[in-house]
Amino acid sequence: MSDSSTINASTFGRLVINKIPEVSSKPLDGNKIELVVPASRIRDVVTIIDEEINDALPESVFGVDLENDNYELIYIFWSHNNRLLVQLRVSLQGENPEIESTCDIFPGLEWHEREVREMFGVNITNHPDPRLLLLPDELEGVYPLRKRFQTDQSRLEETGISTPKPRATSGGEDK
Amino acid sequence: MSPDILEEAMEVWFGPQHVSAHGWATKLTLVGDYVVECDPNAGYFHRSAEKVLEFKNFRQGSLVLERMCMLEAFLAEYPYIAAVEKISEVEVPERAKVMRTIMMELSRLHSIQFWWGQFNAELGFFTMALWPWVDREYTLDAFEELTGSRHTVSYSTPGGVKYDFSDKFMKQLNRAVERFEDRLPKFRDMQMGSPTFRARTENIGLYDVKQGLKWGLSGPPIKACGVPMDLRKDDPDSNLAYDMVDWEVPITENPEHPSQSDALDRMEQRFKEAEVAVEIIKQLIPQIPEGDIIDPKARAKTNRLPEGEAYGRVEGTRGITSLWLKTQDKAQTAYRAKIRGPCIASYYALKDLVPGSKFADFIVIFGSLDPYPGWWDR
Repeated sequence: MSDSSTINASTFGRLVINKIPEVSSKPLDGNKIELVVPASRIRDVVTIIDEEINDALPESVFGVDLENDNYELIYIFWSHNNRLLVQLRVSLQGENPEIESTCDIFPGLEWHEREVREMFGVNITNHPDPRLLLLPDELEGVYPLRKRFQTDQSRLEETGISTPKPRATSGGEDK
Repeated sequence: MSPDILEEAMEVWFGPQHVSAHGWATKLTLVGDYVVECDPNAGYFHRSAEKVLEFKNFRQGSLVLERMCMLEAFLAEYPYIAAVEKISEVEVPERAKVMRTIMMELSRLHSIQFWWGQFNAELGFFTMALWPWVDREYTLDAFEELTGSRHTVSYSTPGGVKYDFSDKFMKQLNRAVERFEDRLPKFRDMQMGSPTFRARTENIGLYDVKQGLKWGLSGPPIKACGVPMDLRKDDPDSNLAYDMVDWEVPITENPEHPSQSDALDRMEQRFKEAEVAVEIIKQLIPQIPEGDIIDPKARAKTNRLPEGEAYGRVEGTRGITSLWLKTQDKAQTAYRAKIRGPCIASYYALKDLVPGSKFADFIVIFGSLDPYPGWWDR
């Protein structure tokens, strides 16, 4: 496990961009870097992380709904040897966004990808086990973490939070 | 695997009603006494915490977080607070930093004490189940004296902590720590010296550190392989006081299987984790500075947050515990909060780790990874 040569955030960013010019980078605080990756190249970037960082730990994959059919996926990897955090950001558009699975490279991402599919409706292609992870069967296809999902707000007043802005009404299956 | 063998296979659901299954269910396919397939199922403890956080303001949010794992409530609530502090740029007084760190380590100690009892009870070693639970009562008494609650403590808040240490609390804190420190060598003898316990755990649930990292394991299951991976040293949070303490990351190296760990190594690792937690508390108690326990402007600054993204992380009892927070300008609530619990990896790992072992060893493997369903179901 002990590797004498460590890699810092900006070196790693340059390394990825040299191999895949479509990727752009943004430094974060400390030895942390964000790489903006086109959806079609996600497998290539995750493969580079696997090859170049010998103790890469897949922390998580999760979605963010930016409304109006825009989504972001964030992948987070941590390396103890290099004290390096790599955050990948992938933008997805459309009613049925799609991205290829990376869980054959890092098995630990398998459940995170299942969760992204059930919560945000992002179709993960080539996923070995696309069952629901947390939700009961009757919530298949409802995608509760999308912003247009209607929650019961009848007790919202009790929280002391002012009423949120009206939600987007176009598109999607309103429940 | 030949189809003939599978004809004799039997499917057994371990949980969700089983007493050792604390709100989870795993489908095991057995041939004779051996597990040939393991299918861990999540979702029996799901409380949609991430959606709930979109409807809670920034001082209420940590209350949701501590319910993810009440055994380590002081640690569990912290990633949310760290993320809010980063976005709101609230200053935390030095006194609060030290107090937080003390309580987080006491929480770690409590979680390990509880796990010892639970793991030994699952193995049928009831003597060692009840002894750590006696000491756990003293830790809980200290929690109760400080916060009024034994589990859902809600102690830290953005900008500081809610309650000051009283003299009575300091007495209880010292009593809990000293009593535990006095009894730890006896526990270690009783646990590690038991031939039955060793026979049940040696070479059980053996995995390589490389494989463990691929699953996403962190914390004690990785440190037991001899890798000092610990966020308290690797990525220290500026609002905690670990830099005021002289300590080393505890690791367990077994010469019989280097860079691998079995259930026995993971037990040994928990003893070391508890020792280090006690050491940190003892070093911090005389260093508590005078001053405020909360930034007076914290409340005003956290009513509405500017637009931003932050990643709050802490080394929990079970590994990397983190929360990714996104806010919109002048927001009262989170736009998106992603909770990453350490146990999602240890529960997933069973899928590869269990097949090939005996049915009776399943609970040893599972228990030795210290799983808590709140961390994967959220």
